[in-house]
Amino acid sequence: MTAQTTAPGRAVTARLRGVHKSYGPVRVLDLPELDLFAGQVIGVVGENGAGKSTLMGTLAGSVHRDGGEIEIDGAPLAPGSTEAAGRLGVALVSQEFPLVGQLSVAENLLLGRRPRASGRRVLVDRAAQRAEAAAMLAEIGLSAEAVPVGRAVRTLPVPTRQMIEIAKAWGREPRLLILDEPTSSLGPVEAGMVLGLARQLAARGGTVLFIGHRLDEVRAVSDRVLVLRNGRLVADLDPEQATEERLIREMVGSEVGEVAQAGPGTAPADAPLLLEVEGLTADGLGPVDLALRAGEVLGVAGLMGSGRSRLVHTVAGAQPSTGGRMRLGGRDYAPRRPADGVAAGIALIPEDRKEQSLVPFASIRANVVVSVLRRISGRAGLLGPRRERAQARRITDSVNVRMRSVEQPIGSLSGGNQQRAIFGRAFAAEPRLLLLDEPTRGVDVGAKAEIYTLIDSAARAGTGVLVASSELEELLWICHRIAVMNHGRVVAVLDRADATKERIMTAAALEEA
Amino acid sequence: MSAQSTLVPEQTAPRARPGAGLLRRLAQSPEAGVIIACVLVFVAISAQASTYTSVGNLQVMGRDLSQVGILAIGESLVILTGGIDLSVGALAGLAGILAAWFDVNQGVPALLAILLTLVICAAVGLWHGTMVTRLSVPPFVITLVTYTVAQGLALAVTSGSPINNLSPLFSNLSQYYLGEVPVPALFFVGAAAVAWFVLERTYVGRQIYAVGGNREAARLAGIPTARRITATYMASAVLAGVVGVLVIGRMNVADPSVGPGWELTAIAAAVVGGVSLFGGEGRIAGIAAGAILLELITNGLLALKVSPYDQQVVQGGVLGVAILLDRARARWFGRSRA
Repeated sequence: MTAQTTAPGRAVTARLRGVHKSYGPVRVLDLPELDLFAGQVIGVVGENGAGKSTLMGTLAGSVHRDGGEIEIDGAPLAPGSTEAAGRLGVALVSQEFPLVGQLSVAENLLLGRRPRASGRRVLVDRAAQRAEAAAMLAEIGLSAEAVPVGRAVRTLPVPTRQMIEIAKAWGREPRLLILDEPTSSLGPVEAGMVLGLARQLAARGGTVLFIGHRLDEVRAVSDRVLVLRNGRLVADLDPEQATEERLIREMVGSEVGEVAQAGPGTAPADAPLLLEVEGLTADGLGPVDLALRAGEVLGVAGLMGSGRSRLVHTVAGAQPSTGGRMRLGGRDYAPRRPADGVAAGIALIPEDRKEQSLVPFASIRANVVVSVLRRISGRAGLLGPRRERAQARRITDSVNVRMRSVEQPIGSLSGGNQQRAIFGRAFAAEPRLLLLDEPTRGVDVGAKAEIYTLIDSAARAGTGVLVASSELEELLWICHRIAVMNHGRVVAVLDRADATKERIMTAAALEEA
Repeated sequence: MSAQSTLVPEQTAPRARPGAGLLRRLAQSPEAGVIIACVLVFVAISAQASTYTSVGNLQVMGRDLSQVGILAIGESLVILTGGIDLSVGALAGLAGILAAWFDVNQGVPALLAILLTLVICAAVGLWHGTMVTRLSVPPFVITLVTYTVAQGLALAVTSGSPINNLSPLFSNLSQYYLGEVPVPALFFVGAAAVAWFVLERTYVGRQIYAVGGNREAARLAGIPTARRITATYMASAVLAGVVGVLVIGRMNVADPSVGPGWELTAIAAAVVGGVSLFGGEGRIAGIAAGAILLELITNGLLALKVSPYDQQVVQGGVLGVAILLDRARARWFGRSRA
């Protein structure tokens, strides 16, 4: 440990002493002594399962700590009460977006409290609600035209919901603002706004706890970086010390060398065309022309709302196409539903694990074998439990899922492990074409490298891969070619050799597209 | 592309449909569809059967409404939180029996008997709410238990035979008119008005929507979710009690076989009225209109002299068409409500 976890004489926003938490026999958080100083943005990094969420939850009251003392500005924080934490000025922006989709933006922004300017205690004061909501949005730099306060939240896209969530926390005028990967679902402009807010709160004397997966971003915004591993604080670094290599080394412990991987194989220039897309259109998409060879990894870049996900979903048959045509392996391919895509040999790994990929409370076994149920069923169409379990083990072993047993609920795994299990499920169906939407969202550095390796090995085996991602480094690293989308169209296709962040961003942000 | 422009999806810009402004707004709210359906059904049936619009028949419908409608309002409150209350029909039946039993068999003054009954109903609602919020018992299960027990108790208390010779207060409540309007219908209007006011105009009401829409979000925002959910079960049970009391007054006898089955009509009225069974969605105007529509149809079938054997089939068919139309509407405007 290099920097001081405590420093006498400095203003402290949060003082933690002996805080610990266990789930069953596993101690997921163990912090003997930690002070969060006022006026700082404090970055927190660590692999999934390192204890980041538990630390945040403990401070915000959504996790009931087993023991230890927490003081916020000198006042003791009762364990396990979000209300108590809120009263002391702790605000949490989680990745889960706890918003009520049916209610309006204004009602969500003021959820659980009354407008300050209203004298009414029982009756709703809608005018005051709207005014205060608009003011809260303006406070973080959003205009009323960008986010209409009267609209139901569920009609708004994910990045907007994230910004609403941030406005909600900001509006509580927090002393300690906890941001859990706030930028992972945002485009670069909004991400910049959020980082600016973090700095602003620190400048006012507050404290920001910034949990991030993008190490460069964490380094850029933080005055101090904490590294957690296995529930313990393993490093407490000044920004100068927190180089990317250093952070990765501290996060993964000893096994650092093994994360480096080989990069993608050579582009198969002479491989047969696998997917041909001509003039494809759909709601908010197109016309799009694309071609993908067997064994090729084609990236899809673009800002939020540029049609990245829509392209992937339309090819998968999950969104109806309204025109144009596709050929898959030389045959006409016109999917009307995802089942058509699956039947044609396509596997889709969607963006939102919890909502679109998993049955969280069901076992790992039940989750991974669904892609091969027919194949592993006997002649009469009946499924033997032994065969099913064996198949589940084979699938999870093939992608190196770390677990106690295939019978544990898949929701109890870390994000990276869940994602690997999903990859195993997709591979088990032996797809010709693999469609990926944000394949490493909410996944830690170590697991990311493993997922890249999985994608690479699939491509080497001749599978075509179409991968949409908001992380440019990721695309630059794993793709043979990158298609850049803007307003629903492909505006550029860059070869690996020519692709740079700057060129992609220029094409993606071009206005007259 | 500016920062702001990436935040709102293009599809939210009003799609150009010439002259469709008002129509579109109407079609977007499920309540409007039900209200229009009420008008259409009323006009169509009254053109076929002259007795349909007679004062006498309207009064009958008003009294019927007090039963289905009040149950539907209570039921809807529970459904708004994402729950379901299967016990309302049986509980209404039991409440009638209890009130009559206190009144006739125990000699309790009628008003006290009614209050006692409502307190018991409130306790049942508290029990439901507590089991649902503290022990995470599925609402379906715990209210099914009450359904069974309530139905059984009504029979056990009376040994299966009706209780006669009720105090005049009961029939006074149910058979009086204010002008031409039967008093029970006023109970329905009153219940709807109170429910509307609470849901739309008070913080507690908005919090009930929040709990139903996203319980975790509500919890994290510091809303006492357990209290809000429990309150809806209590309201539902008390309203069932009110219905039970009104029913025995109307028939001037407490019949232990009355009640069970009504919960399905109440749920149907809620669903027709635009309440989402997933919670968090639905408004009182729609719920009231849903109950009215079902009553207009039920009564209309009698007026049209449809064979009693065919009536249920027609009712079911109408329900199916209503739901189909609603889904078609939701699809047409590209907003699935599920």
